[in-house]
Amino acid sequence: MTPMEWAIVALALVGAFFGGVAAIGIVRLPDVYTRAHAASKSDTLGAVLTIGAAALAIQTDLSTIKAVFLLVFMFLTNPTAAHAIARAAQDQGIEPWTAGDEEGES
Amino acid sequence: MPVADSVTVRNTVAYAVEQAESAAREGQQQVSLHLVAVASTRSVDPDAQSELGQAKDLLDRIEVWLDEDLGAERPSNLDVETGVIGADRYLFSPGNYADVILAYAEEHGIERVILDPEFNPGGTTPMLRPLEVELVRGDIEVETAPVERPARSTALARAATLPKYLTVFGASYLFYLLLSSYKPLDFFTGAITATIVTALLAPIAFSRQPSLTRIPKQLARMAIYVPYLLKEIAVANLQIAYVVLHPSLPIDPEMVDLEAAVWGDAAVTTLANSITLTPGTLTVSVSEQAFDIHSLTGSAREDLFGGGLERAVRFVFYGREAAAIPSPRERGQGEDSDTESEVGEPEVADDD
Repeated sequence: MTPMEWAIVALALVGAFFGGVAAIGIVRLPDVYTRAHAASKSDTLGAVLTIGAAALAIQTDLSTIKAVFLLVFMFLTNPTAAHAIARAAQDQGIEPWTAGDEEGES
Repeated sequence: MPVADSVTVRNTVAYAVEQAESAAREGQQQVSLHLVAVASTRSVDPDAQSELGQAKDLLDRIEVWLDEDLGAERPSNLDVETGVIGADRYLFSPGNYADVILAYAEEHGIERVILDPEFNPGGTTPMLRPLEVELVRGDIEVETAPVERPARSTALARAATLPKYLTVFGASYLFYLLLSSYKPLDFFTGAITATIVTALLAPIAFSRQPSLTRIPKQLARMAIYVPYLLKEIAVANLQIAYVVLHPSLPIDPEMVDLEAAVWGDAAVTTLANSITLTPGTLTVSVSEQAFDIHSLTGSAREDLFGGGLERAVRFVFYGREAAAIPSPRERGQGEDSDTESEVGEPEVADDD
């Protein structure tokens, strides 16, 4: 394999790892706000790395540029979506989970 | 006129009063203006108290506006009534609202309904259009008040100037060419597309006059900011991965307020999005400069009030001098969470 191929594989794997972290986070974290954390950040990084891998793999000018635009829009829209979810939760009056709750319940 | 809290309710009330007043001055007959708040819940429901309270507040405000608009010389044949209707049943659809409004109109011999263009009692779903359609069933005149949206219209549509047109045209033309295959035809179609885009979007494109000196500077500083942000994102993502995968899930979430020292829509948006992207912190809501931020761990709060991101955003938008403004901690914010986050292990949050 060429160095380029190694780079592509590494990016894709790390991207998949963070995608996995996001999924695990959504399952493990206790409430809507903390889950929004996992869904917005790890997911953004995972998607961005994977798209980066794709951009390297495609190698034609046009598609690479398009992939880069995808990256940019990912960075703009993902946090905005997380913000919208969190604000909707706040508007609904959902109280954030705190470390104290767990000890009360378990 | 049915009323509900909205950005245009003030102007719509003014319009309705003006219409009623001129009608009263023209003719001799009695003119009456009814301003009604439509309650969606039944008065026996648990939510009804707060809804009725809000409706009452609104009607009180409207009374004050009426005094302002009508002044001392109120025509003797004009009478104004306010009230809450529809409190005897649930209202879900625009049809329900129309039923209540039409029933009320019939009962009181009302000939004309004036709608607030932002009338939206049901929440976020737009309901003006369907409500208008439903109201046409009745035997009365329906009209949407010709009022501007005060805040938003001034914020959105501004007179477009030549530099604005040129900037929008240049940006859209470049974007088009970047994605094209550089054939002669592409240059031609790109010009046409960019012209259309410019004509449509230039009036709403910038909040300030674009300047040839400011924008390239900001772009250059943005180019410095992006790698910094990427580094922050990468480091913080590793922390989150650690927290999420750690068997005991060492989190200590807390809501914090941040009074950020940034100004302007673009800068605030950039900061809000950057805060959300840097793991451990999530912008929940922003108004002006006050950020509500949900933080996942104590160390995330440390970083937030350390002000690295805020300083970087200031650097991007206002230059080097502005970056020297003290960090939120130096301005005396986030002190409560400091004491907590210095404890290594997650502690029981005792704030509520």
